[in-house]
Amino acid sequence: MADPKVAGGKVAAAKVGATQDDSADARIFPVDTRFQQMARRAGGIPRDRAIERAEAALEEARPGYDEWLERELEGLWELIKSAETGKAGPGWIDTAAFRCREIRDTAAPLGYELLAFIAGSLCELLDSFEADSECNMESIACHIDALMLARQGSYRHMKPEQVPELTKGLQRVVKHVTI
Amino acid sequence: MSRVIATPPNMNLRDLVILIADPSSYISMLIHGMLRGFGANKILEVRNSNGVLQTLTGQKIDIMICDMHLPPHGGLSLTRAIRSKTDNEHRTMPILIMSSDAREATIKRARDAGANMVIAKPISPASLYDRLSWIAFNPRKFVDTATYFGPDRRFKIEGYPGGVGRRKSDKELDVGAESGPALAQDDIDSLFSAVRTGQD
Repeated sequence: MADPKVAGGKVAAAKVGATQDDSADARIFPVDTRFQQMARRAGGIPRDRAIERAEAALEEARPGYDEWLERELEGLWELIKSAETGKAGPGWIDTAAFRCREIRDTAAPLGYELLAFIAGSLCELLDSFEADSECNMESIACHIDALMLARQGSYRHMKPEQVPELTKGLQRVVKHVTI
Repeated sequence: MSRVIATPPNMNLRDLVILIADPSSYISMLIHGMLRGFGANKILEVRNSNGVLQTLTGQKIDIMICDMHLPPHGGLSLTRAIRSKTDNEHRTMPILIMSSDAREATIKRARDAGANMVIAKPISPASLYDRLSWIAFNPRKFVDTATYFGPDRRFKIEGYPGGVGRRKSDKELDVGAESGPALAQDDIDSLFSAVRTGQD
């Protein structure tokens, strides 16, 4: 175990993250996997070029994504409408949460930051309902309305900080409902 | 503070078999595209843990990129299962967990399950590249004990990671309660950096 040392005015120490069970009989050994061996071979693509190529691959996915996004948003909207009228099946929150996570996790890499923000906020709300907080349909409905707004042409490429009333309003809703 | 090497060598992913395990076909497609951009040419996708276990039985996988919420039991449960099976050729396979929940306690759970690294969702090409590069060029020893098998979890605390405040009630060396704020990717990286002998 390393000695404690001071860093930045705070006491710091090397900590063995292991529990008290990981003690004298611990075997520690070097590992050099095939992944590591092969990744170190000559002939790899330089980082900046690799990232450019990856971003180009995302751009190629964009046209298809727009269609997919429309379908997912419509599907989410219909699911929430069914839930509001009591016609959705018992696992509707799980389904809504899954769709919402998909939208959030795909929108951001493709540059739809406002959509990703709103979907992320809705995910937080749905997660709290899945964890047995009282389900507040109005808070979900206002997020769906925000998503429908954000999918429109003029809003689609906006960043969250460009529409502070919207984003702060959603944050207040989530904070109020998840307390 | 980022632990990624300042000027890493070029990473060569050609002919490495990479497994993406995510319940979303669209997210898998985007990651697949990113990996192709990095030069990978052998990429498999599965949607659940059963798919992972079948794939691992049938062929050699060089690295797995796995979602924290992989159905039915989650990516961490799967990671523990892979690490704990003693007669399994994939026991030391690098495992990169994708998670939208970046709270410190969650990241520590992933580390304690035996993951090599956690990458915060949503994933960008740069963050994915850097995490793969970190795994490739920063090999860590493995620890085998009665209760844990996986990359060395020891880490150095140099004050709290940026963005996570300390409360007076926290115990010494305690990193705070589960309900803390989400960590930035650099802070996640710090939790996974192994202590290096002789470096202070």
